Amino acid sequence: MAECVKVCTANFGKGAQDIEVYKKLGGYANISEKLFNMSQFELIDYVQRSNLRGRGGAGFPTGMKWSFVPRNSGKPVYIVVNADEGEGGTFKDHFLMLEDPHRLIEGLIIAGWALGSRAAYIYCRGEFLPCIESINKALNQAYAAGYLGENIMGTKFCFDIFVHRGAGAYICGEETALINSLEGQKGQPRLKPPFPAVSGAWKSPTCVNNVETIMALPWILSHEPEEYARMGTPRAGGTKVFCISGDVKNPGVYEAPLGTPMMTMINDYAGGVVGGKLKAVLPGGSSCAPLTAEEAAVATMDYECLASMKTMFGSGAMIVINDTHNMVDLLNCLGNFYSHESCGQCTPCREGTGLLHRMLNLIVAGKGHDGDVELMQSLCGGFGGVTICPLSISLGGPVSSYTAKFRADFDEYIAKNPDHAKPRVQETYRPGIFW
Amino acid sequence: MSNYYNMPKLPTENSPKVEIFVDDKPVMVPGDTNLLEALKAVGIETPHVCYHPFLPVSGNCRQCLVEQEGPRGRMLVIACYTPVAPGMKIYTPASSARVKNARRATQEFMLVNHPLDCPICDKAGECTLQENYMEAGQNESRMRPEYGKNYHGNPAHQFIDAKGQLRGGKHVDLGPRVLLDEERCVQCDRCVRFMRSIAGSEQLQLAGRADHTYITTFPGEKLDHEYDLCVTDVCPVGAMTAKYFRFQKRVWLLSHTPTVSMDDSLGANIWLDHADGRIYRVMPRCNPEVNRSWLSNTSRLAFQNFGKNRLPFMGFHVIQNLVSGVKAEGGKIALAAGGTCTIEDLAALRMLKDSLGDSAELFGGTFKKVGSPDGIAMSGDPMANRAGFKLMGVPENNLADLTKRAGEFKLLLTVNLDIFGEDASQASALEKIQNRVVLSAFNDETAAHGTLSCGVRHWSEVQGTMVNSLNILQKLNACPVCPDEKIRPAYEILSELAGCMFESAADAFKHAGKYAAALSGLSYDTIKSTGKLLEGGEA
Repeated sequence: MAECVKVCTANFGKGAQDIEVYKKLGGYANISEKLFNMSQFELIDYVQRSNLRGRGGAGFPTGMKWSFVPRNSGKPVYIVVNADEGEGGTFKDHFLMLEDPHRLIEGLIIAGWALGSRAAYIYCRGEFLPCIESINKALNQAYAAGYLGENIMGTKFCFDIFVHRGAGAYICGEETALINSLEGQKGQPRLKPPFPAVSGAWKSPTCVNNVETIMALPWILSHEPEEYARMGTPRAGGTKVFCISGDVKNPGVYEAPLGTPMMTMINDYAGGVVGGKLKAVLPGGSSCAPLTAEEAAVATMDYECLASMKTMFGSGAMIVINDTHNMVDLLNCLGNFYSHESCGQCTPCREGTGLLHRMLNLIVAGKGHDGDVELMQSLCGGFGGVTICPLSISLGGPVSSYTAKFRADFDEYIAKNPDHAKPRVQETYRPGIFW
Repeated sequence: MSNYYNMPKLPTENSPKVEIFVDDKPVMVPGDTNLLEALKAVGIETPHVCYHPFLPVSGNCRQCLVEQEGPRGRMLVIACYTPVAPGMKIYTPASSARVKNARRATQEFMLVNHPLDCPICDKAGECTLQENYMEAGQNESRMRPEYGKNYHGNPAHQFIDAKGQLRGGKHVDLGPRVLLDEERCVQCDRCVRFMRSIAGSEQLQLAGRADHTYITTFPGEKLDHEYDLCVTDVCPVGAMTAKYFRFQKRVWLLSHTPTVSMDDSLGANIWLDHADGRIYRVMPRCNPEVNRSWLSNTSRLAFQNFGKNRLPFMGFHVIQNLVSGVKAEGGKIALAAGGTCTIEDLAALRMLKDSLGDSAELFGGTFKKVGSPDGIAMSGDPMANRAGFKLMGVPENNLADLTKRAGEFKLLLTVNLDIFGEDASQASALEKIQNRVVLSAFNDETAAHGTLSCGVRHWSEVQGTMVNSLNILQKLNACPVCPDEKIRPAYEILSELAGCMFESAADAFKHAGKYAAALSGLSYDTIKSTGKLLEGGEA
């Protein structure tokens, strides 16, 4: 395992929650003449050159996202930090905010300067109470030290950061639902366009970034952008904070360059698979398609490789599954989660996730029928690209891929039903008979 | 469900035409609207559940999917939220199997938790789900009963039915006029958007998430608003039902008469749905210029009294003898008209006045309080045809003058004017007049105070026209619900008194042209169902 440059997790375990410690470790060095002498365009160009891509899951280039925010619209520009980390298997933002809140604040000041913003909101998941405590403490220290508030470092730049506590809805991790929730409305995704960059929070231009994206900024600014870009793959620069969980010896948060082989992550960083042989890996959180052991052997952890294997990089949350688990049980868990977390807006998601969940429940309870799997696959075909947000695909994708790759598990469960071959009785009357 | 939903832009006659390609065929469509309306304008119907032309777009039913050629290939988009752009390429189910499958999938999802109790559902026959199914679907169900349905709506409304299934939310009492069936609700949130954006009173909300979403009011609150029955109109399924119409009649047995409500000077366009010689319900009739698709409870529920307490017909010759007797004596005659008189009634009244000469004088107006427009479907003015009165040269605000000078007259003839019912203390002065002839639909206070009372047809039973507060000439149609065939329209009686009976409403309207220049060039039959904007009016 090669020693990796730590961009986001360098201060872990060093007590960097305190501003003095953080400054001793080189923190807030960026909030200086160098930053304030850069124009907004120079700074955005700087970030673009670093090839930083959004770390929340979609992987949109950050610099490009910033360049979409209109200037001189006459409205304030808001930065919203998406700290509503709800995806199954993802826990990086939690630790990042808990261990190193000042780096997030420093990153936000840089982003605030780049976007000409006056205020930023950290939309933090409601359950993360220690995080919120840690950030609030850090914010107080930063205000006292003059890094936030009016006329930062004697310049005319004023910047405020507010922490908003969410109520723990998974869908509020979707940026427009997050903005709705931030405004005090029901957390449901909005129709797009307009996109938040043009009309977001309070109808003002809004830039929604993940915690990790913002926290990479201080390092990029204190080094050269090309240096950051070199660490990753040609299309996505830098390192990534991975959360490895499941059947591994040392589950946890690990930072590694993009493009690291998957087996290196599992064996070298997380100490290898325990409790059995490797069966499957979910590379990017619970909503992505699983990779079988053979696929995992050749996969590398970056956006392109995983996309080519018809799964996704997501938030870099690897869930390792050994062969003692049945994939139907896992899928039933997902069905439970996503049918509960659907916001109830679009018909396919609202009704479809619940239906899939009930079907999976029946299969797990030993009441499945032949043809159930085909019906589920067919139902998932009705999810693709027809809803406002991708939550329905977050269940539809796994259902399609689990059933395709681990069909034997499903057949095993369905065979437990003695009546599994009983055909469906057509009880309904068809109108054609009468009319 | 944010407040940022935008009202759809509807095409008008002046919309610029742009060329788009539908299924690779070029068509000219209105350019300033959404795709759904544009396709409708060229005759392509797109099934939709949540979209309503007069409500903000929420785009949650996903039923109106079409394919659009974009930079990343052909994408499924919702027609209700996609603006028309010149040269855009659209694929409908006619050419695209993907669209057809996507719509079928959406329909299947929509029916997952929707009970198939159409035979006992009050909306059957005019249900959007039924229509979509019959037109595009008729697909066989793929579900097994074991998959079940999910009624985890309001815990307070759950129960176990006879088959042992968990169900809930039947006949939930939302307020004094509306009942909710949570099982049938498809969460299109039309009613929520109506109450929020049109009624301006957020009394309904979608509570919960996923398929346990249910419509509810705030705890302890009731749905109670002047327009709350409109939520039963916008509801695409049988979830919201009006208490007054619930289980009264199967909708396919109703006949529909398009007419205009004469309760208010906006003249809301309505359908009178009738069967068996009575009106069963009143529904708003879409007119973008006047009341859009809305109707106030006052106008909607007024029909319940239309058939009650009616005044019977009296011999015409008694009135004729009385009027000619007073005329021969040289006594002065007051002719007073009420706000529900149509243009035809007024034409006949003018003709009667002309035939009586200088001894007759015209009066009109109301003692009722005149309010202000509510911006939805009421102008607040109870005198429905006030603009028509002005147009026809009949005074519309001099009843006080009449009561003051009551002593001068020998005969008073009132038409559709319940002056005693409106203000008995002022009207009591009229008892000084020796002969009081009352032409009225109802056996009201004025009829009771009349020396001679004769029934005429109610406005719901006559052909005619009225001019509303926006100066739009609107047409009334006769609903065949008159309790007695002998009862005649007021204009017939009045014109016969004048000595020249109008054969029909069209004939009467032609005569009205003599008194009002604005009407002279028009003919009754060419007035459109949505009315005609008269000169000098503002749209």
